[in-house]
Amino acid sequence: MNRPNPIFEEVLGRLPDRQRELVEAAYALLEHGNGPVHRQLLPALRDATSRERLEELLRRTGRTLVEVDPLHVTSGFDDAVRIELADSGWQPLPLADRAVLVLVLVHSVAVPRSEERLAPDSWDSQFPTTQLDITRHSKVPPGEARAALSRLTACGLLRTVRGGDQDGGYVPGPRLSRLTPAAREQLQDQLILAAAPDHPLAAAIRERRHSRLGGQR
Amino acid sequence: MTERDTALWWARIRSGGPQRVSAGGPTPAGLRRLVEADAQAVWLIPDLPDSAGPAVLTEYGVPGTSMLDSRGTLRVLAACLRCCWPDPAADLWPGRPAPTGDIGQVLRRLVPARNAVSRQQLLAAGLRRLAASGWILLEGTDTMRMGPRVASFGSLELSTLRELWRLIPDTAPDRPETS
Repeated sequence: MNRPNPIFEEVLGRLPDRQRELVEAAYALLEHGNGPVHRQLLPALRDATSRERLEELLRRTGRTLVEVDPLHVTSGFDDAVRIELADSGWQPLPLADRAVLVLVLVHSVAVPRSEERLAPDSWDSQFPTTQLDITRHSKVPPGEARAALSRLTACGLLRTVRGGDQDGGYVPGPRLSRLTPAAREQLQDQLILAAAPDHPLAAAIRERRHSRLGGQR
Repeated sequence: MTERDTALWWARIRSGGPQRVSAGGPTPAGLRRLVEADAQAVWLIPDLPDSAGPAVLTEYGVPGTSMLDSRGTLRVLAACLRCCWPDPAADLWPGRPAPTGDIGQVLRRLVPARNAVSRQQLLAAGLRRLAASGWILLEGTDTMRMGPRVASFGSLELSTLRELWRLIPDTAPDRPETS
């Protein structure tokens, strides 16, 4: 059933069998695991050659290593690939899903972060957005919003939390940990622009982007 | 095709699922072409070695992506496999299209404890979830066929599926007259 994959052959062809097996296993754990993987399970990262081959394998398939914390790593979209796809208009998520995702990020991340209840670069929030938060003041029809919530949860962009002493609801899912530092920074900027377009921070972001664009020309 | 273009194709599939392209185009490295029955289009899916596929997760005890109501949805997938894969000795892709009514018939025997309403909900939700992730393709409102993702099953998984196929009840004995 399985024919040799030319990318894997080219990148891993010269490695001894055992080393190749560890690199392939690391690729599988990073790419198919639900969330970040503990370094203990990734011996390929400890050896310079294996690590370099693993990074090459990820790069050739549009991906890159993402260090989540000192102990955990995962994989995410390569920044150059992400930017090129976005610039070409590639968008697999329907409009309603994007709107609902932004609402959850505003309620669960942007608001707690602005009140300093959430660390500056963290997307792992324990502040759930309730279904009411999403339907009450938004323009997304309730039926569509519910369908979008279930699709976003299915693909790991959101996660449900059960109500304890507070209401249950939705928080950012495990997929958010796959964002590279550059993608996190861009998302953070976009959130500020969406949630507080008149804030001085938003003006600073627009100014910075404008000057970057000017610098490229 | 350059390395960069190949990486872009891998990223499109990773983010948007299997991609349908015209049959004449080039195949990016490491991807498999699945030709549609009418040979007018092909689907591109990753062709990963088993040693770098999702099966590795179980070896290491690492959780994979979980599915909402996974038991129910997997039963719907089982019913689809029974109806769309007439000969388990042959390849699973492309299979044959089946009316969703037939899937409902098989499902009725797979979840006998559910009442008609709850079973209908399970069928509709299950088909929607499976279609969203590319395991099946919905054609119109009442026909479906297997999706390109089924071609990514490895040989080991396929032999398990063949065993299971024999255990899944058929529609034949009480097929409704209307279909």
